[in-house]
Amino acid sequence: MSALAVEGHAGAHRARKVPLRYRVPMTVSRLSWYALCSLLGITMLVPLLWMISIALKPSSDILQLPPQFLPSAFTWSNFVEGPQQIHFGRLLFNTVIVTVLYVFGSVTSSMLAGYAIARIDFRGRNFWFYLFTFSIFVPGIVTLVPIQRLFFSLNLIDTWWPLFLPAFFGNPVFIFLARQYFASVPRSIDDSAMIDGAGHWRIFTSLMIPLTKPLWITMIIMSFQAAWNDFLNPLVYLNSEEKYTLSIGMANFMGALNEANPQFNYYMASNLLYMLPPLLLFFLAQRYFMTGLGSLVMTGK
Amino acid sequence: MLVCQLMLMAEGAHIERADPGRPRPDNREPRGLTHRRRNALTAYVFILPTIIGVAVFMLYPLASSLYHAFTQWDGLTPATWTGLDNFRYLFTEDPTFWPSMKATGYFVLLSVPSGMIFGLALAVLLNRAYRGVRIFRTIFYLPVVLPSIAVLTLWKYIYDPLYGLANQVLSALHLPTSDWLQSPRMAMPAIVLVGVWGVGGSMIIFLAGLQNVPSEIYEAARVDGAGPFRMFFAITLPMITPILLLQLVLGLVLAFQAFNQIQVMTGGGPDTATYLFMYKIYTDAFGSYPNLGLATAEAWILFVIIMIVTAITLKTSSMWVFEENK
Repeated sequence: MSALAVEGHAGAHRARKVPLRYRVPMTVSRLSWYALCSLLGITMLVPLLWMISIALKPSSDILQLPPQFLPSAFTWSNFVEGPQQIHFGRLLFNTVIVTVLYVFGSVTSSMLAGYAIARIDFRGRNFWFYLFTFSIFVPGIVTLVPIQRLFFSLNLIDTWWPLFLPAFFGNPVFIFLARQYFASVPRSIDDSAMIDGAGHWRIFTSLMIPLTKPLWITMIIMSFQAAWNDFLNPLVYLNSEEKYTLSIGMANFMGALNEANPQFNYYMASNLLYMLPPLLLFFLAQRYFMTGLGSLVMTGK
Repeated sequence: MLVCQLMLMAEGAHIERADPGRPRPDNREPRGLTHRRRNALTAYVFILPTIIGVAVFMLYPLASSLYHAFTQWDGLTPATWTGLDNFRYLFTEDPTFWPSMKATGYFVLLSVPSGMIFGLALAVLLNRAYRGVRIFRTIFYLPVVLPSIAVLTLWKYIYDPLYGLANQVLSALHLPTSDWLQSPRMAMPAIVLVGVWGVGGSMIIFLAGLQNVPSEIYEAARVDGAGPFRMFFAITLPMITPILLLQLVLGLVLAFQAFNQIQVMTGGGPDTATYLFMYKIYTDAFGSYPNLGLATAEAWILFVIIMIVTAITLKTSSMWVFEENK
């Protein structure tokens, strides 16, 4: 700003001096920005690097004092022996089944409900919308005990049903997001499809689903994370070890470790494998992770 | 980007609609009534699963837990009505109720502001067009992607006084070390710190808010000679207050329901230093001596606290939230 002003009515010698004076702080500020970000970034990454290092340590390194940051030998076999300790394959299988059903159920039911509320004129749509939105604000713990009793009386305790069945009956947050998103799609699209004799089901499946790709990809990511990370529900509903999901399995693995049983290298290796599917999803769909939720929030404003 | 895509689609639709050979659909046509009925039928088919879900997994449990809050109920024998006994016990006799309230309040007061301040600071730091900024955004967001249990179990070992990373780093820097999760004073800050590691989530939402601030305002302020601090406090902060409010409410609601940290890292200890209310409810409901009546009473207390805190936040928000359309 002042560079412009100075150039306007000062002599040529001053005009030459000013850019220099301003350029130097510019580079300095840019360099210090990079320095600060790198420092913070490394700080954020150190716990992960430490985890990778322990995952590669031989068992003899674990109780070494003072602990060394790097492994004395790179023990890749930890990634085989560690998971074997907790039947990682079975836990993974259980988690994948629950997650796939949960994602499919919540995305499908919420897309349908969001579409109906945003784009079909019917009596009571506002009532239902407010009711669904209200349920966002009910903390899960208030309904947990009665729902647990419900599944108990249905003889579904210690099965995966309680973990994914509720997802098939709509997710209030997703319905809210879907309603906002569907409402932003121009009406003229439906009108022209209706002229061609398409019903709502056809408009939904062949027009809206392709049009709202960012919406349902964001929902898939969010519900994947919800199911993959879910800890409280498996803790409440599952009793037998062969039905456990990874979250319970990993928490129990860590809980059982101490100086007498120091398999921390096995644990860290398994933990890395547990982190891998969400990480892969993140790098595949980074755009939706990082802009998806933000832009959905903004459109919802 | 989304908006552009939608605008393009709208353009295409308009062109199609200009085709004059076809009649326009209109609700006021003779077959309007059946059309409307068919619409309603379709709509109800579409929202039927959600209606069932709200009834079975929300309204019924809400009513049931409200009723059972006033009962003595162990889950094996039928519940018996005891009036306000559960609440009287909690407020006057239960040795862990008030400590747990105190721990929850402390946790909320530590974790919500720290999450918002660090999230906003990172967002401001990374709201530039410098080369490589996306790499930094990815790095800061990375911990958010990881499963909560993976992160918590990792940090539990980081806080190990003997073998953990935290004390290794501190002693390398010649700073005093700590017992972390085993220390009554440090356990709670240690748990909050794990949340700060995952601050990338609020950073992303703040970034979306910052990028929505029209750049012309900054240009105008720059012409008027405003410095970076002035611009932040006079423009950026007021412009993103709606996002701040959203983050504040979300942060409060989530903080009151924090559970995994305690279950994985401390089990409420040492003593009652980290005995968060949500963890107390879980222990009372599903611990070795299930007391479902007491647990539902506690769940309702938590619900009411969350409602009051949210209501106060929203009510006072008009004093500091900037609204564009006013």
